[in-house]
Amino acid sequence: MSVTEEALQTRTDPSSGTGSEPAARLRDLRKTYGSVTAVDGVDLDLPAGAVVGLLGPNGSGKTTLIRMLLGLTPPTAGRVELLGHDGTQLERALPDVGALVEGPGFHPFLSGRDNLLRAAACEPRLDGDLRVPVDAALERVGLTDAARRRYRGYSLGMKQRLGLAAALLVPRRLVVLDEPTNGLDPAGTRDVRRVIAELHEAGTTVLLSSHLLAEVEAVCTHVAVLAKGSLLVSGELATLLASDGELALTVDDADRGLAALRAAGFQAYRRDDALAVTEVDPPAVVAALVHAGVGVWEVSRRRAHLEELFARLTEEDA
Amino acid sequence: MTAVLERTHASLGRVVGAEIRWVLRRPRTLVVLGLLALIPVAVAIGIAVAGRGGRGLIAQVAGNGFVLPVAALGLALTLLLPLAVASAAADAVAGEAGSGTLRGLLVAPVGRARFVVMKAAGVITVAVLAVAIIAVVGMIAGALVVGGPGSLITLSGTTLGVGEALGRIALVAAWTVGQLLAVGAVALAISTFTEHPLVVLACVLGGLIVFGVLGAIPALDWLQPLLLTSGFGAGTDVLRDPLPLDGLASSTLRALVYVVLGVGVTSWRMARRDG
Amino acid sequence: MAAGAVVAGVIGIGGTAAAQPQLPPVSPEDLVASVMTAQPGPFNGTVGIDNELGLPALPGAPQLGNGEQSARVWSGGDGRGRVALPSGDGEKTLVSDGTTRWAYDATDRTATRSTGGAPEQKDPQTDPAGASAQIIGELRKTSQVAVDGTAEVAGRPAYTLVLTPQPTERTMLREVRVAVDAEKRIPLQLTVLATGSATPALQIGFDDVTFGPQDPSLFTFTPPPGTTVKDAPARGQDGPQRQGPPEGTRTVGDGWDRVLVLQRPAQQQGDQQQGDQQRPEGAPDLNALGTPVSGPWGNGRAITTAVGTAIVTDDGRVAVGAVPEPVVAEALGTR
Repeated sequence: MSVTEEALQTRTDPSSGTGSEPAARLRDLRKTYGSVTAVDGVDLDLPAGAVVGLLGPNGSGKTTLIRMLLGLTPPTAGRVELLGHDGTQLERALPDVGALVEGPGFHPFLSGRDNLLRAAACEPRLDGDLRVPVDAALERVGLTDAARRRYRGYSLGMKQRLGLAAALLVPRRLVVLDEPTNGLDPAGTRDVRRVIAELHEAGTTVLLSSHLLAEVEAVCTHVAVLAKGSLLVSGELATLLASDGELALTVDDADRGLAALRAAGFQAYRRDDALAVTEVDPPAVVAALVHAGVGVWEVSRRRAHLEELFARLTEEDA
Repeated sequence: MTAVLERTHASLGRVVGAEIRWVLRRPRTLVVLGLLALIPVAVAIGIAVAGRGGRGLIAQVAGNGFVLPVAALGLALTLLLPLAVASAAADAVAGEAGSGTLRGLLVAPVGRARFVVMKAAGVITVAVLAVAIIAVVGMIAGALVVGGPGSLITLSGTTLGVGEALGRIALVAAWTVGQLLAVGAVALAISTFTEHPLVVLACVLGGLIVFGVLGAIPALDWLQPLLLTSGFGAGTDVLRDPLPLDGLASSTLRALVYVVLGVGVTSWRMARRDG
Repeated sequence: MAAGAVVAGVIGIGGTAAAQPQLPPVSPEDLVASVMTAQPGPFNGTVGIDNELGLPALPGAPQLGNGEQSARVWSGGDGRGRVALPSGDGEKTLVSDGTTRWAYDATDRTATRSTGGAPEQKDPQTDPAGASAQIIGELRKTSQVAVDGTAEVAGRPAYTLVLTPQPTERTMLREVRVAVDAEKRIPLQLTVLATGSATPALQIGFDDVTFGPQDPSLFTFTPPPGTTVKDAPARGQDGPQRQGPPEGTRTVGDGWDRVLVLQRPAQQQGDQQQGDQQRPEGAPDLNALGTPVSGPWGNGRAITTAVGTAIVTDDGRVAVGAVPEPVVAEALGTR
């Protein structure tokens, strides 16, 4: 893992994204439960307006991180700053934060709409007739038809949608969605992606936790990868994915090949008996070697580091 | 369109109102209140069928309908009313934590101190309604089924008119609410330590039993002033004439101490509890 | 029931003598005399009984066991009075309007009316002052009587009259203290201390007392609807609070050493239900209690408490006194 990791981190610019104040800032954040370390010294910024994917296998500390971010559990050490508030003032940021954490939590004996009305009553940013924002939120997640049915009878997907609606009751500056597509069918997943895209368009910062790279790739501008409580990598998704191509070459004479490639201006280095070249144009690389009289046995394009890293994490998880 | 305000908390009135609506729409609350209403009815029917006899205050109900609400409250205070209030307190925090709704309230944010106020309001609502239902149904059943001279015969052998009888019933009802708030405050405190409402009920039930046992051991009579249950009998005093206030006052004071302790622990714990 | 009233009227939980108020000195004679002639006027209060006599718990008379009780007392100061003896879910009420006595028991809703007995100016049934005054008068003969400082009882300054047995007395009692209200000159508290114990064996007294006019309706009683009204059998002249002594009753010795020897009443069980519940010694079933003893007088069982001894003989005699067992046995032996 080490090479990949180092390579990635050198390219990770903490201040990437917009230049303005980040929506949230985590500094050396740590949480231990007894002898178990759930989150181990995480530094992370959520750039304002970004859609940040928090990637990691189950049990990697994503939810604990989010709970600390929202003030639901105090950090063992480190600092959380949320929308410019930190420490004991963290709660002052919460009216502008919508959250769906650890699955939707509602009362089974109330209808979806009544559940939302109860939640709306506690929202500082709402005033007047609460039915208006509640019905708007139900509409937005496509639950209008089921609004008056008891939550008890909802499918898993409908429950997720209601949880999303609760996070969207108020125009937010930050929306935190913890595994929002759990239990959703393809149509539901599409709806969630649409909602996230709308939020992004409106300038809302979104933190989306997921264990699916594909989901993150589809909607996120930024990504942070968490494993065993530690942040492995974070930065702009495009940078992390696009710049990570690498060509692996097996040649008959590695020393001559390396010299030839460097002479031709490629960033090349030895990897065991093979050669690796970054920022590649494969035909040009092969041509340079052939010109130098180096025999090429095999050329293969390696996966992007992020994909490789994440595939490895999820394989371990599986 | 709804105005977006620069407040950090929703108005307390709206939050408390939502809490009370939620409490009253909870099926469990309604079932418990319905069952409590059956207590005076059952006593009335028992008196009507079996006539005079039996022991304790119940025997006083025969031919003396105004005693029914007092006797029913006294009967229910030994176990059912405390459990009804404990159940409300159990659902208030442990239940919300268990159903995953607690974090929603905390993230809204309700505010942790306001959360205690809101939950206390819900428990008070249940306590007041539970007592009111027994008292009102007791008066109706007393008048319809038991009947009586249209006045209250006290334990001291005097007769009180309707006005004073109603006053006495109101007094014992208010006093009972006070005792129940002590149970509710302690139950609420327990409720903040668990995610399982049944744990709260078990603790309150166990506490009532332990207090009852401790109160019955003569060697531990120095403990009596500390036990909430040792004041539970004072409600009978409203049936005495002239009305002795000592027992009612001292048991209310003791209940107040329990309320302060319970609310204190609840607030302390809620300021720290994970959502 | 009448006996109960006496006990209730006399006995009580003591407000402990905390402060020592400054009062002009008074001689024991003057104090006792002033008690005898005291006219406290109307008052009401709560009387508490703290019983550490060490009597065995008797099924028919749970009130006699160790513990605390209280009674509410109203006195018109003129023979009218009311006593309320609250219990868990009932109450016994005794009302006297000066000529007619009512005893109402809420548990079975019965009212017992009695008109016998001369209305006394100071009715011991409803007035703790009367009973304690009698006690003081009797005990002066064989006791050292002293006024031992002052005390505060039920929030009122009081003199403390101390009765100590003469050294020749063989009693188990160490001293009897009576707190007398400095102003009204009625006993506020009676404390009985036994030898070998620092805590009172018995303390009877006002927890609170208020002097002043009382509502006259307190001293009348109208049986409420649904009440069973009974008339008590007419009483003799011995006083309304005590049944006439059964045949064969005699006393041996005098003063602190006095031992009462009597034949056990035949109708004991019936009595128990009626009026003997409050009687400190005597009537309840004693067969299973105590330790076997024997002597020239026969065989029996001795029951020893903190303040006295009773011997119940197999031939149905009972001897009781505030004395150790040998003195009681000796009394049984005297003819």
